[in-house]
Amino acid sequence: MAENSIVLGMADLLVMKAPVKLITLGLGSCIGLVLFDNVAKVAGMAHIMLPDSRGLTGSEKVGKYADTAVPALVEGMLKQGAAQSRIRAKIAGGAQMFALPGINAEFLTVGAKNVRETTRRLTGFGIRLVASDTGGNKGRTIEFSTSNWMLKVKTLGKGVNEI
Amino acid sequence: MADDIASFNALQLDAIREVGNIGTGNAATALSGLLSRMIHMSVPQVELVSIYELGGHYGDPMEIVGAVFVRSTGGFQCSLIFIQNEEDASLMVELLLKQQFGSYIPVDELPQEMVDSALSEVGNIVLSSFLNAINLLLGTQHQISVPGVAHDMLSSILDVVASIYGQMGETALLVNTELSVEGLDEGRKISGHIILIPDPDALDLLLRKLKVL
Repeated sequence: MAENSIVLGMADLLVMKAPVKLITLGLGSCIGLVLFDNVAKVAGMAHIMLPDSRGLTGSEKVGKYADTAVPALVEGMLKQGAAQSRIRAKIAGGAQMFALPGINAEFLTVGAKNVRETTRRLTGFGIRLVASDTGGNKGRTIEFSTSNWMLKVKTLGKGVNEI
Repeated sequence: MADDIASFNALQLDAIREVGNIGTGNAATALSGLLSRMIHMSVPQVELVSIYELGGHYGDPMEIVGAVFVRSTGGFQCSLIFIQNEEDASLMVELLLKQQFGSYIPVDELPQEMVDSALSEVGNIVLSSFLNAINLLLGTQHQISVPGVAHDMLSSILDVVASIYGQMGETALLVNTELSVEGLDEGRKISGHIILIPDPDALDLLLRKLKVL
């Protein structure tokens, strides 16, 4: 059966039944978080921009922040028939695109904070992080396919890493 | 910060555009001096961009670009990016080296560090000149960081803008101008964009200094 390819934009969050290919283009400091249950055959992805909503969610997209995206993605997975104990996670992204010696602005290191907060939230739900490709100073394009439950991470000048 | 970026009136947006105009004028003069070429500058645009659509706002999100980033602290806190598609960035480096050393060397034959160093120098001169002019206008003191250089997908580079504006809301205020080097062989043109990214909480100060708040 052919896979549907779906490209997620900034702060998008989506859960789909297999077969599906979930794609996020050009992640810099943002995180692509994948959750999957290969028994229930369900997969979800979120394009997370920032670590913490600081309680200011309002009408904003839940996928924007790690602290709101992780619970929403888990809930979406359960609704589609996933079992929490079987859900596994993979993450990619969280680069620091620019390093400025002597400058300590919070926004420059937001990538590492995104990784830390996403990981912490996953632990809170007892979800095992089985693969990650994070940090560094290069952008990433990612594709998760339910045909093999693998996440392809493409980095400029470094080729493809399948995790 | 101003309560809602989208609620700025026409007079305020015009005043911000004028800041862009003065900064870019000085940047164009500096670049012209560096390269000994005529520089054309576009009319600056004040852009209110959804942070969710930044990746596609300046072109193909997957396009490979060269970017120089600086942070300015002091009175009017902001960040600036000088961004070029990778081909234009290479032409700019070749032009600069030819100007400095008198001989043409293709970038493919140069070590990456030298290319980055040249690109960083161009960006630094353009962006420092921009900042000097606007701080003179505003009567503010400023310090400029060492420039950071990146070559990557446009959308990854612009994540930095989303990180600056994302915590405050869903819209970024940017001042965008295009500079282009003219009078090159075979009618070629080298373009670059200067994007001014004011800190969200520095906008009030900017408007007060311009006497439109």
